[in-house]
Amino acid sequence: MTVTPILELRGIDKSFGPVQVLHDVAFSAYPGEVTALVGDNGAGKSTLVKCIGGIHSFDAGEYLFEGERVQVNGPRDAAALGVEIVYQDLALCDNLDIVQNMFLGREKRRGPILDEATMEEMAARTLAGLSVRTVKSVRQQVSHLSGGQRQTVAIAKAVLWNGKVVILDEPTAALGVAQTAQVLELVRRLADNGLTVVLISHNLNDVFAVSDRIAALYLGRMAAQVRTTDVTQSQVVELITSGRSGDLGLATTNGATA
Amino acid sequence: MMKAGPSQEEIRRQNLSTLLRHIHLGGPASRAVLADRMGLNRSTIMALVTELTTAGLVREELPRETRRAGRPSLVVRPESVSRYVFAFDVGVDYLAAARIGLGGAFLDHRETVAPRIGLHPGETAATLAGFAAEMRDTAPPDAVCVGAGAAVRGMVRHPDGLVRSAFNIGWTEEEFGENLTRRLGLGLPVLLDNESNLGALAEHRRGAGVGYQDLVYLHGDIGIGGGVISGGRLLRGHSGYGGEVGHMLVNPRDGRPCSCGSRGCLEAEAGQDALLEAARRPVGAATGRAGIRGVIDAADRGDVTARAALHTVGDWLAVGIVNLINLYNPALIIFGGTLPDIYLGTAAHIRSRVNTHALPASREVARFRICRLGDRTLLTGAAELAFTHLLSDPLAHALPAPGGS
Repeated sequence: MTVTPILELRGIDKSFGPVQVLHDVAFSAYPGEVTALVGDNGAGKSTLVKCIGGIHSFDAGEYLFEGERVQVNGPRDAAALGVEIVYQDLALCDNLDIVQNMFLGREKRRGPILDEATMEEMAARTLAGLSVRTVKSVRQQVSHLSGGQRQTVAIAKAVLWNGKVVILDEPTAALGVAQTAQVLELVRRLADNGLTVVLISHNLNDVFAVSDRIAALYLGRMAAQVRTTDVTQSQVVELITSGRSGDLGLATTNGATA
Repeated sequence: MMKAGPSQEEIRRQNLSTLLRHIHLGGPASRAVLADRMGLNRSTIMALVTELTTAGLVREELPRETRRAGRPSLVVRPESVSRYVFAFDVGVDYLAAARIGLGGAFLDHRETVAPRIGLHPGETAATLAGFAAEMRDTAPPDAVCVGAGAAVRGMVRHPDGLVRSAFNIGWTEEEFGENLTRRLGLGLPVLLDNESNLGALAEHRRGAGVGYQDLVYLHGDIGIGGGVISGGRLLRGHSGYGGEVGHMLVNPRDGRPCSCGSRGCLEAEAGQDALLEAARRPVGAATGRAGIRGVIDAADRGDVTARAALHTVGDWLAVGIVNLINLYNPALIIFGGTLPDIYLGTAAHIRSRVNTHALPASREVARFRICRLGDRTLLTGAAELAFTHLLSDPLAHALPAPGGS
């Protein structure tokens, strides 16, 4: 199966002053699949995601979207391509309701006034399209929602804006068992609906439960990008902690990817 | 002698059946869409729709919203309020009943907790029939029941529905279907099937398995059951007992005793009791879903006993899944009942085992999914079973249109 990745990074280098945080990183994400991005603290996951989202520029390397080379100079460029990032802190406003949050800063207007009816309908349709049944009313204030529901709203917001690639940063951290199940089900459904999902997670159960591919970063290098059906938990742990596992991973700790 | 082709009458019946099935499973659609899906011309579709409308099974309406210019075309909808079935779910520790409309809409629902031991078949039938009577009383006056189906945790003989043995509730050779049919007094037989077969049917038609022709559904509660769909059809075996995945022998030498009398069956090693016991849950602690979630929660917090218990149970479950993947080459494994929690709680372990032991060519295509219908999976399956007769020959089982004649 040779499917073209919708998002492909090649040879990404990134330094902050004298500190090099990404070395020659390659990363691909495919439509209809969940690609899990794993790595130890400080391996470069957040930096890589911020490069994809246009928040950081990179020093060297190529950014390909739908097979074409693109220039991403800021978050707006990334959003225009259809790359949406849901950060760990969700960036939702507690004092606003679901609709207001989903359209925050991009409100629909009819003349000088806000088009509440259309926004409400679009929000409800997006949630229904994701088969979200846990949210009773789209006019609920976000402060009244549970952790899982907040996550759901943040993800729905990304989908609402025509996100083709949705990047989720630790979506199940700090959630209970039932809510984790709910969010993982939503993550899986996004991909089954044809979207490209990148999931950053420390929880290998979550990674193995929903991902199709696993990309493991080790000290700023891409140790390996493998299919979830081809590896075991211990191999992934080895890739995370030592950058290699058997014939998978980095040839030497400062060499190129195998 | 040469076999004659199908008669006009047979073709017509076949077409009516296909059309009703499209509406029932695919939801409201315009005649043009139906013509396209069925590969028939519009005038045939019109004649078929008219017949089904006269029989009170579908109705044509203007769509609720339209985004195109021009006169909107009529949409054919199932008569989901006035044509319904009763669906029953005989759980190990609960009884549930629902009134489900043509098209799959849940119209009404009743549930009660039952004692885990001593679920007497007669009392069970009486309780369920009571639920049905209540729901019939609250239904609109012109609503008509067109079938009934029940999910039973046990080995159900096909096609007559004799409950041969249901270990977890202690039934043997029980003519439960006839009993329930008599008590309901609808003039319609209650169709029976094994719970996981119905779960497989439900997820295949309306849940996570839509669009897949080869899947395995695994249902966990006290035991573990399985339903296998291969080439779009449920595998039943010679007399309906096929797909007893829970009694797949995985650990014969020093396995745990199983309710079936054997030892080391999959459900004995990977079922709820095995998990709760391995996690050394205190006596009297929560069982069922709450108990399982308790173990997973403890494991998340770092409790080593709970983690070890999940690993052990995950390992055995994976052994079962490896065998299923190697035997049936499914595109999908669906976890239902309490298994979604166990799967998510120990997915890394299960997937690793499967990746190590299952045949690569089969394993690559096997996706793991959580059931999409949730707590309604089994009732949905029972309803699909109940609709069987109506869908295969719509006019023979239909009644006059509501309000008509």
